[in-house]
Amino acid sequence: MTHSNIKRRSLLAVVLTTFISLLNGDSTAAPQSVTKPGEDWTIISRILQQHCVACHNHETREGGLSLSTGAEFLQGGDEGSVYDAEHPLQSRFLEVVTPVDGVAEMPYEKAPLSQLEREELKRWLSKGALWPEDVILEVGPVSDTDWWSWQPVSRPGIPISASDSRWPRHAIDTFILAKLQDEELTPSDEASAEHRIRRVYFDLIGLPPSAEEIQEFAADTDPRAFEKLVDRLLASPRYGERWGRHWLDVVHYGDTHGYDKDKPRPNAWPYRDYVIRSFNQDRPAAEFVAQQLAGDVLPTDDPESVLGTGFIAAGPWDFIGQVEVPESKIDGKIARHLDRDDMVRTTLESFCSITVGCARCHHHKFDPISQADYYQLQAVFAAVDRADRPFDLDPAVVDQRRDVENRMAAWQKRNDQLEQEIGRKYGASVNDIEKEIDQLLTPADEAKPEFGFHSEIAKTPKQEKWVQLDLGEVRAVSKVQLVGCHDTYANIGAGFGFPVRFRIELSNDANFKEGVRVVVARTDRDFLNPGVVPIAFSFETSPAQYVRVTATQLAERANDYIFALAELQVWDEKNQLISSGSKVTSLDSIEAPERWSRANLIDGYWYGSWLEEELQVKLRQLALNRTERWEKISQSPLHRQKLELQSEYERLEKEKSAIPAPQMVYAGTTKFSPQGNFKATQGKPRTIHVLNRGNVLSPGEQVHPGPVTSLGDLGIAFGGAEQHDESDARVALASWITHADNPLFWRSMANRVWVYHFGRGLVDSPNDFGRMGQLPSHPQLLDWLASELRDSGGSIKRLHRMICTSSTYQQSSRYRERAVAVDGSNRWYWRMNRRRLEAEAIRDATLAAAGRLDLKMYGPGFQDFVIEKPEHSPHYEYHLFDPSNPSSHRRAVYRFIVRSQQQPFMTTLDCADPSMQVDKRNETITPQQSLALLNNAFMLEMASEFAEDIQQTSGNPESEVEQLYLRALGRFPTEDEVRTIVPYMRQHGLENVCRLVFNLNEFLFVD
Amino acid sequence: MQPYLSRRKWLEQSAGGFGGLALGAMMQGESLAREEAVSQIIHHPPKVKRVVQLFMAGAASSLDMFDFKPALVKHHGEPSDFGEKVEAFQNGLGPWMKSPWEFQAYGECGKQLSSIVSELGSCVDDMAFVHNMIGKTGVHSSATYLQATGFQTPGFPGAGCWISYALGSENENLPTFVVLPDHRGFASNGPKNWDSAFLPALHQGTTIFPGTDPPIQDLFPQNRRFTTTQGDAEGQNLLEVLNREHMNERAGDSRLEARIRSYELAAKMQLAAPEALDLRDEPSYLLEQYGVPEDPREYPAEINPEEEAEYFGRKCLVARRLLERGVRFVQIWSGNDNGFPRRNWDSHENIKRDHGPLASGMARGASALIRDLKQRGMLEDTLILWTTEFGRMPSSQGGSGRDHNPFCFTNWLCGGGIRGGVSVGPSDQWGFKPLDREHPTTVYDIHATIMHLLGIDHQRLTVRHNGIDRRLTDVHGRVMKEILA
Repeated sequence: MTHSNIKRRSLLAVVLTTFISLLNGDSTAAPQSVTKPGEDWTIISRILQQHCVACHNHETREGGLSLSTGAEFLQGGDEGSVYDAEHPLQSRFLEVVTPVDGVAEMPYEKAPLSQLEREELKRWLSKGALWPEDVILEVGPVSDTDWWSWQPVSRPGIPISASDSRWPRHAIDTFILAKLQDEELTPSDEASAEHRIRRVYFDLIGLPPSAEEIQEFAADTDPRAFEKLVDRLLASPRYGERWGRHWLDVVHYGDTHGYDKDKPRPNAWPYRDYVIRSFNQDRPAAEFVAQQLAGDVLPTDDPESVLGTGFIAAGPWDFIGQVEVPESKIDGKIARHLDRDDMVRTTLESFCSITVGCARCHHHKFDPISQADYYQLQAVFAAVDRADRPFDLDPAVVDQRRDVENRMAAWQKRNDQLEQEIGRKYGASVNDIEKEIDQLLTPADEAKPEFGFHSEIAKTPKQEKWVQLDLGEVRAVSKVQLVGCHDTYANIGAGFGFPVRFRIELSNDANFKEGVRVVVARTDRDFLNPGVVPIAFSFETSPAQYVRVTATQLAERANDYIFALAELQVWDEKNQLISSGSKVTSLDSIEAPERWSRANLIDGYWYGSWLEEELQVKLRQLALNRTERWEKISQSPLHRQKLELQSEYERLEKEKSAIPAPQMVYAGTTKFSPQGNFKATQGKPRTIHVLNRGNVLSPGEQVHPGPVTSLGDLGIAFGGAEQHDESDARVALASWITHADNPLFWRSMANRVWVYHFGRGLVDSPNDFGRMGQLPSHPQLLDWLASELRDSGGSIKRLHRMICTSSTYQQSSRYRERAVAVDGSNRWYWRMNRRRLEAEAIRDATLAAAGRLDLKMYGPGFQDFVIEKPEHSPHYEYHLFDPSNPSSHRRAVYRFIVRSQQQPFMTTLDCADPSMQVDKRNETITPQQSLALLNNAFMLEMASEFAEDIQQTSGNPESEVEQLYLRALGRFPTEDEVRTIVPYMRQHGLENVCRLVFNLNEFLFVD
Repeated sequence: MQPYLSRRKWLEQSAGGFGGLALGAMMQGESLAREEAVSQIIHHPPKVKRVVQLFMAGAASSLDMFDFKPALVKHHGEPSDFGEKVEAFQNGLGPWMKSPWEFQAYGECGKQLSSIVSELGSCVDDMAFVHNMIGKTGVHSSATYLQATGFQTPGFPGAGCWISYALGSENENLPTFVVLPDHRGFASNGPKNWDSAFLPALHQGTTIFPGTDPPIQDLFPQNRRFTTTQGDAEGQNLLEVLNREHMNERAGDSRLEARIRSYELAAKMQLAAPEALDLRDEPSYLLEQYGVPEDPREYPAEINPEEEAEYFGRKCLVARRLLERGVRFVQIWSGNDNGFPRRNWDSHENIKRDHGPLASGMARGASALIRDLKQRGMLEDTLILWTTEFGRMPSSQGGSGRDHNPFCFTNWLCGGGIRGGVSVGPSDQWGFKPLDREHPTTVYDIHATIMHLLGIDHQRLTVRHNGIDRRLTDVHGRVMKEILA
């Protein structure tokens, strides 16, 4: 390898070479260098990497010193230079690593370097401390897998010490009791029936029990009464709404894109419904994972499967970075890279509870996850994007659509053949000539964003729109030239809005009522769109003050029709341009300068007007050729065949459109209709490189789909090849995650379920089982639950049943002074935790108490805001919404979730932020919260409707208070309470009492 | 090792984030229990107590205000040549374009300012300009996130949230972190720019729209159908009675007490906030300085200097009143999202049309604020930061506009601990990139410096979230000694 070779290679490649060669201890592979460091460099770099770089690198710079590069080494740290060139052996660098009484300053709080290592350093320093110019030392990946979560899940035996107690109902309790006994604690008594039913209602379905349900349960003497209650709640459709919402927190589901503009995502909800249904059906955990990662490509008859891939698309998406900026630009690359980053992080944090995202810029500093691992995972998602994709839930429709699509594919084949034949017979196709024209017009550095004149938009093509010039006086008109527009937006390109059919007329009457002469009439058949090539029409000279162009058939836009022109020019009989200063009028116009305005029509500028005359001539010649070729082809029998094929296609289209329209779901997909620069891969994966420091401009080696290496591939093939099948890669990832031997997934899932039941996890960092996360409080219990979940077919409901029916869960939440002294945070579960309700539960419970809760399930989310300025950046105005509108009285899980402007009321109550993966809600208490619960329009409206309801059934203040308490709190008020409340009610009305009840701690907390 | 760290830090580490119930309870109890001293995370004696951030949405052009480029005057109209391939957001690489405004020297330091920000001329000897700011992207949304939160993707707390988290409030009756958005609407990303993300909701920026009713969401019932002031007051008493009864049966849960306290604080805020926002007792001469007319004024539909001055000045004046009352961090926005007609600093089409009124309005309010604080002796412990998303190109776009320039822009700081009258980190002759490309200034450095002045070591203020010890300055940041007094 020569010196210049090294320079040409990317920095990262050099780093990797260095690193690999160091690992192998192969000194011959060390890079040659500009500064010829000598053979001891390998040893030196190994010492630095092993002992120093973790704290002294580019980023950390402990003491201001970085040892990432030679230049930085020479620069020194906060205390000045560490290397003394004149007296190398007196260098500060040597001093700090030299132990005094067995202790050295550096490595900080670690064992000193060995004698041998110090000798090597001395030698290196005295030889001039040479450092290869291009080498950057980096911290190596963590290789130590000696960490609890990396160990296999083993089903532990049930603790014996506890089994003789009468307290445990089943296995969970024995694990809990064993720990309690270790800590010399005892469990609490069973909570009252009233407390237990309220607890399990909110826990499993997120709603309060009615007063009747409470009384019925309290009176039930069946020893299995609580089990029956748990079963009933798990069978309720309300259960999926409650627990589906938990999962939506984790995957950061939202109904808008977020970022700039924050446009609505109207088809996100089918995924939300899929999640709710999955919980209600108790979809096996492994299937739940597989469908979310690869539901579109799984061999399954389940029409819902595809909806699972809404998971991949659940997070935010950068509209500007993806649609307006092309992938070829740096900002476009960054946007796409970060988009995949979100997919990778969401997948691994949600299912495996590891923070692979750290390895985007460097090897994970604490867990055995290398940068290559991270990019292997990115490669799994290299072909998917977030977009709307169609789906059918009816199997018959699925078949019908497949049939038509097959016939369309066959049609396409025949059409291609015919096109080829036409090409063979008539030479260069119209398309080829167009390509030549395009070449002539690019690069278009001189292009200005002044596109031309643009009529208003029409719903149908067959209506007339005109634009005309007032030449100021009667002139001898002999030639008119039209030029089409070029719109740069979203690659619309040349010929935008050029009329399909049109005529040109002259008159001396501005209204074209009298003396009208038609000089050009192209109204009987379609005019070949000239793009931006000027089209001139000469005719017999005629005197006129006004020249009018009328489009008789408008040009098609997306789903509507317009008339647009870049330039309209008029010449007299002496070939003098006479239109420059004209006044432009039109039937209508969209005036949006500078892009669109009537003034653009006569400014002498159009797309291509900058070309020199010679090229202009060539351009016109090409256009002429194109027209001729078109005329020739369009007269031929082959063209007639083509027209027939065309009509066959139209019939197929018609057939297709007769099939019930598919629904759309916003999901991870490889196929979708393009939008500007945002284009589908059609399943062809993008090339993924390791990015040095996560920088898109510093690609290193290419990587292929693969798992986190330190966990092993568990015998699953990820493809790995250059042209891997992207769907296989996603299926492989799902299989790897849910493999019985993957130690992370089953623990992660079991822990999540525990978190929501108890308000704290067995591992209290549910998204991080790595070294920066928490240690499990009950590792054996966690493994027992994980293996129960895994070995019983992945039933989440079974897990709920075990947890809820345990003695641990049914304990009282009462304070016990002695226990608090030992374990104030209740880490060992000597009591049940008292919980404050989450934002959704507060809102739902308020609606339920007021008698306004609408239990309609599924479908588009309700919007509790008014959208202003939807055309550009929608403003979501919550304060303009009328909370008495019953559309908003559904459960909060059906709320349309805006990312940029979150619902202020819900946010104040610690609702999950849809921009980040939320594994546990915050639980805060703030004055703003109190103000919201007292004064928010929704709360006031509900107070008033609640009062209205009660007044209809009750007669006197005392019975009204009773009704109020029964409905809001599920119990009768005490006499004291009635006595305290009634005078206030008399003076300020029942509404104000209802309002206060919604603010009671008793309403907001569950014992 | 960390003598100033409160037990909050210790608790947080043992409970694993804010979700920990015990911590949640104790921390809120702590912030609500005013009998104790405010729990602060301070690492060294602070120079300043409070911060005002002026944020220009859409990306303001330093070349037309603070960073005078004689080369652009000399080569105006000549084809631009950057000496390298440049990727501009909308390919706005037309000829070099000088500023449409004249520059002139101000103050003892002789700082060159353009005529649209001449109002700031009287303050330049107190200001430090940083001309070599660089960003990471020319996309508004990501760039706004980067300057507001230190990260270019959503999901991170705003700078004010971190300050609130570290220092708490000086006044329990008002929020710690207040945001005064542009009156026309939010900038890119909306309230996500001041969202508390993984910090407790208490630290999220509270938006105040001075002059609207109510100025703070839910401060009062919006529509008084059955509520009365007296009913509310008596209701609060009744609520406390009932809540205390409930609490008495449930010993040892500080959250229940904290909620009772939170209603008292809410009631105090109902009194304090309207008073803080009421400008009626401000003298006429001061209103005049801030550009705020005493009587309501009608404005034309086109963007105009007087209207911009009134709206920005009103926010500056409100900011001063909030700072006086102990608010820690006030963020003032100028410009909203990219609607039509343009009402922000994103002058792709016409620098003169948008920057003229926006800048003169901003300069009026900002200079009045600086002078007012100084006159009251508050400037010495208040820090003002002027910032934006990124800069604008020295080449023209479409003849009169400027395209995005994420490679170079200007920030300025003013107030306590800041060395006045300096301009550091010069840009190159065009203002295209920093003159010394190896040593640019980033938002991390600005944040590190602000935190330093507040007594916080930016490397030590961390919060663990999803396995990472998060910092406002990520893994970067340098205290900019060169602008410190």
